Amino acid sequence: MKQTFGFKNDIKIVFAEFKKSVKIWLAYPILIVFWGIFPLLWVLPYVFQGKALVGGMSSMPFKELTGSANYLPFVLIGAMVSTYIFSGLWGVGNSLREETYWGTLEYIIVSPTNPVVVLLGKTLAEFVYATVNVTFQALVATIFLGLSLTIAKVFPVMIIIVLLLVGFYGFAIAFAGFTLLIKEVHGWVHTLEWVFYLFSPIRYPVEVSPITKAISTIVPLTYALVAIRGIILLNKHIINLWQTVLILIWMDIILLIAGYLTFQYLERKTKEAGTIAQY
Amino acid sequence: MDQIIKNAKHYLRAVWAENIKEWKIELTYKPDFIRGLIDPLVYAIPYLLYGIALVGGRTSKTLQGYVGTGDLITFVTLGYVFIGFLNMALWAMGFSLRKEQYWGTLESVFAAPVPRWVFALGMAAHSTLHQGLMIFLQLVVINLIFKLTINPAGILPALLVVAVMLIALYGFGMMVASLTLILKQGWLVSEALASIMMTITPIAYPIAVLPLFMQKASLILPTTYGIMTTRHFLIGETMPFSVATSFFRLIVLGIVWVVFGLIVFEIIDRRTRRTGTISHY
Repeated sequence: MKQTFGFKNDIKIVFAEFKKSVKIWLAYPILIVFWGIFPLLWVLPYVFQGKALVGGMSSMPFKELTGSANYLPFVLIGAMVSTYIFSGLWGVGNSLREETYWGTLEYIIVSPTNPVVVLLGKTLAEFVYATVNVTFQALVATIFLGLSLTIAKVFPVMIIIVLLLVGFYGFAIAFAGFTLLIKEVHGWVHTLEWVFYLFSPIRYPVEVSPITKAISTIVPLTYALVAIRGIILLNKHIINLWQTVLILIWMDIILLIAGYLTFQYLERKTKEAGTIAQY
Repeated sequence: MDQIIKNAKHYLRAVWAENIKEWKIELTYKPDFIRGLIDPLVYAIPYLLYGIALVGGRTSKTLQGYVGTGDLITFVTLGYVFIGFLNMALWAMGFSLRKEQYWGTLESVFAAPVPRWVFALGMAAHSTLHQGLMIFLQLVVINLIFKLTINPAGILPALLVVAVMLIALYGFGMMVASLTLILKQGWLVSEALASIMMTITPIAYPIAVLPLFMQKASLILPTTYGIMTTRHFLIGETMPFSVATSFFRLIVLGIVWVVFGLIVFEIIDRRTRRTGTISHY
């Protein structure tokens, strides 16, 4: 049983971890440029594919599925919101594995603090990092690609994003526990990325297939993307999206509790197996 | 002459040994191996569903006007299936030396009594076989789901085009592999190159929809000729150049990229040995 030093100390640890993560990013400034630009570049093939298939920037069949005929803002919003998801997957889910690479995991595990508190620090850092990248992407998309994003829409969109991320970070914390147990998860993280691409409307409306539509209902990202696109593209008010908000809150509660318990269980299992230090 | 044949046999044995070693390592991690086979499928399907969502079916009149075939599913599938060879060059070949560093075996491999390019050829042999297996599975599964329509008579010439394209990609893979020796964490270079090349190669769209500067840039990529000509044989895609021109340019690009890849490989290899950084992590 780990000693606990109270809430104040936990907060200190969270901020120490945050500071450490920021120092590591600043050591690789090229990464910030990369993540600020490349997710938008990944959207270009969808734009060219759209032009090749429908000859312009709008499609009526697409409007029937999404409510908006213009597919460019659809994929741009998908790219930006998914930046949060994938940064969480790599930055939180894979973070303990990174500590193994750096040779510092054992120090974290033997320190008199709960590793979940350390993970909370990493989560906070990842949220800030992703927000910086998404802000940059949003500026590029607004100035150069004609995405209409007004200040009035930013606040409700951020509420949806926070609701999405609370649950998702719960999942990522559970995934971090998974990395303690099975070690090399690089490939699994990639698979998860593709699963999100396939079963949530990041790049296409999942309603196009009954299978993807059915499976996407258990992915919180689906609800968040539908709500965010509703606010930005269809001028919906967040009040009118209360059902989506309620579903996200429920999913947050479930994922947070399940994530915490899963991590505790996997950490204990790894310690019992004596494989923490194994590579 | 005898010496040349003896050397060739010796090198081929080393190439085969490298190939077998890679397979053995991969098959040790069976769940990961299976996952790796499923990944390309999950990767390709969103592009197909996106196309269906835009058109409201699988046939696009606009695409028909551009390339002579309106079947977006077969068009896009063939593009994404064969671009897998680019990923092979960038990631599988490109990161093979880095992997040896992780495992701590790079020095032993480089101390073997064969030229270093022989090691690179071994990596290429394994990567091609692995990618070939993935492509076969991708085609079978996507065909089961969507029913692809191809001209069977075009399969052999299409494979020939792929073979010529592969030569150029081997040169590219060798260059990326050697770059990882000096850059160490070279994933960013691979990711950036992959993103740019996948955008300007006409994978899921005809070359005509690209902005002019991208159209020009795409003409120096072997993947442009490889994918367009493969689709030409399999589904009758119309191209802005003849088949003979495409083969000629692919061969020229193959020679240029292989020679360039070998030169870069040689320079970096010599540099890392001189500076004593080959074992740096």
